[in-house]
Amino acid sequence: MLYIHQSTCISPQQTFLDVNIDVLHEPVENKLKVIEPTYEDIPPGILRRMAKAVRIGVGAALPIIKNFSHIDGFIIGTSNAGMEDCIKFLNQIIQYEEGVLTPSNFVQSTPNALAGQLGLLTKNKGYNITHVHRGLAFENAIVDAMMMLHDHPENNYLLSAVDETSAYNYNIDRLSGWYKKEVVTCEQFYQTNSTGSISGESAIAFLVSGEKVNATARLAAIHTLHTEEEMLIEKQLQYFLEKNLPAGEKIDLLISGENGDNRLLKYYTTVENILDDNITIARFKHMAGEYATASAFAVWLSCQILQTQYIPLHMLKKSIPQSNTKNILVYNNYKGSQHSFILITKEN
Amino acid sequence: MISAIGNTVAENRTALQEGKCGITSLSLLSSKYAGIMPFGEIKITTEELKKKLNATEPGVTRTSLLALHAFNEAINDSKLSSEEIISFDTALIGASTVGGMCLTDELYNDANKKDGGSEYLSSYDCASVNIYLQERYKMNGPVNTINTACSSSANAIMYGSRLIKSGRAKRAIVGGVDSLAKFTINGFNALHILSSDICTPFDEQRKGLNLGEGAAFLILEKEEDTIGKKIYAVVSGYCNSNDSFHPSSLSDEGDGPYLAMKGALDMANLRKDEISFINAHGTATENNDAVESTAMLRLFGKVPAFASTKSNIGHTLAAAGAIEAVYSILNLTHQEVYPSLHYNRPITKTGLVPVQTYQKMPLQHVMSNSFGFAGNCSSLIFSTI
Repeated sequence: MLYIHQSTCISPQQTFLDVNIDVLHEPVENKLKVIEPTYEDIPPGILRRMAKAVRIGVGAALPIIKNFSHIDGFIIGTSNAGMEDCIKFLNQIIQYEEGVLTPSNFVQSTPNALAGQLGLLTKNKGYNITHVHRGLAFENAIVDAMMMLHDHPENNYLLSAVDETSAYNYNIDRLSGWYKKEVVTCEQFYQTNSTGSISGESAIAFLVSGEKVNATARLAAIHTLHTEEEMLIEKQLQYFLEKNLPAGEKIDLLISGENGDNRLLKYYTTVENILDDNITIARFKHMAGEYATASAFAVWLSCQILQTQYIPLHMLKKSIPQSNTKNILVYNNYKGSQHSFILITKEN
Repeated sequence: MISAIGNTVAENRTALQEGKCGITSLSLLSSKYAGIMPFGEIKITTEELKKKLNATEPGVTRTSLLALHAFNEAINDSKLSSEEIISFDTALIGASTVGGMCLTDELYNDANKKDGGSEYLSSYDCASVNIYLQERYKMNGPVNTINTACSSSANAIMYGSRLIKSGRAKRAIVGGVDSLAKFTINGFNALHILSSDICTPFDEQRKGLNLGEGAAFLILEKEEDTIGKKIYAVVSGYCNSNDSFHPSSLSDEGDGPYLAMKGALDMANLRKDEISFINAHGTATENNDAVESTAMLRLFGKVPAFASTKSNIGHTLAAAGAIEAVYSILNLTHQEVYPSLHYNRPITKTGLVPVQTYQKMPLQHVMSNSFGFAGNCSSLIFSTI
């Protein structure tokens, strides 16, 4: 069993430490960028040398690792951490025609630099891994943490997801048609009926263990699949719910990864149609944008909602008044081909 | 598998027996360092690979092609049926650090361009390799890509084993791939750890590593599911540990390597003297070989026979763990060890001497080490059935 005990989130919204998700921070030219904290706990000399993904990743993890010294390992999901340094190094290679280059961008360009840095900062010699499977990088990290905690329920892991929007990966995804051509606001986001989404980024950390006491939430089950067929998603979701929802219980809230791309809407509609009519549906990509580990933002929101039993109005697509939110389903898909279902429940 | 010394497992074995070195000057990849430094380059052009593999999809990269080449051999050898491949309980766990970045110039253009864009827009990331294999074979089970630098595919083997152990998969196709790229060549060169000569693992005068390219895949199943099938070896132990010392070098004491090796031994429930042979990480950098030697001495006292095949094929980064897993299994299957090449004299501080000749040897448990940047250390133990 995987229990979430703490969670932190650096995102384009006010989600870090002093959380206020009622007020929306708008995208600028279809980019939602993280609001970075001041990083008072990181020595300036070290901070200056950190690439953005490492910086926000360490920043999100610090409030947890600072107060909790028994971490048994770091399990990270990221699709493009290090991208900015990667392209900076690439630019050096081309511009200096493979001349004498400085290695710092190269060392920071590897996606596992964050996990390494966290190990280094905490002098932690335990399990240390980086999953990079694009839109399912965080999901694979969850599965990894679940397997670890199944074998060692007494252990504590830092489970984290980080992705950054650099000018370069923005450009590559823009050329591929994954971003909207017209500039949109948070309010217009889901009504555009056009292709593409807006870009986003975040760094999110969870302290997870197999122990139930004082847990915020339980990450009860996860399923991933690669497909473009709605039929398969339908079948798999039905099976997932049958297998993982306790008898007599239902999903109270669907957190949907709907991202304003009219080509992908069919998948979200398929999932909505399978679920009970009597269900609240909330969306989040107008807050965080679209990126490979956006599902981690939905899991962070789930923890918030389970704790506070409050959902900001701007998130609601359909609201059913109910006394208690207990079971949350997160459905997300990335670029129409990588899908995940995550079941998060409140532990009473 | 495919490497600079052979396109199949059988070709690799013959080359290892003969002490063949596939590290040469670059003839296919264009780089300023082509004439200056040797590399473990596979002498088949990307176009030839496409033709040979009938890979006509747009945007397919050399990295994906090398992976497909090895994947096909593994599938054919194991006689996995197409039903088994597409089954929801067949996992694909691959590792890559280069992904589509082998196309350094195309990536530069696509990252900086205003419009247009090449056919490779969705092929640059590490995940693109396994997504290509998944799509080509229409696989439905869990798919993952791991990047822990040079220990990536050792971790892919671990992760696949754990998926099976936990009941999340019935079988797992695990492996890793990397192709040569201007990106990694310039990166390792900027760190001053590339040798201008052919690498000499565990030699006092070693000057650094040679980069190589290759791919290997293995098929893992639970023992009870292997009845009537060809079985090569058992994955009996594994451990992942972080050195937590420096982003790009290992600590003098080698805590990460020591803990990874010790953890794997503990998991396999083996005594130190039961390890018959160590397939060392042995990159031939000043740092790695000294630290790995120290860690082996710390753990074993009397260090078992060991060697590094980096002297045959170079350092294949994310492919290394999987390629060397296959080499370790060849050790066990044929009860033989292959020579570490180009070795001259021991590192003064540690005095360890690798195996230098091909020899038959009774082997029951082989340990394989993989250590990477960011302190990511992993050790695996393979055992006879």
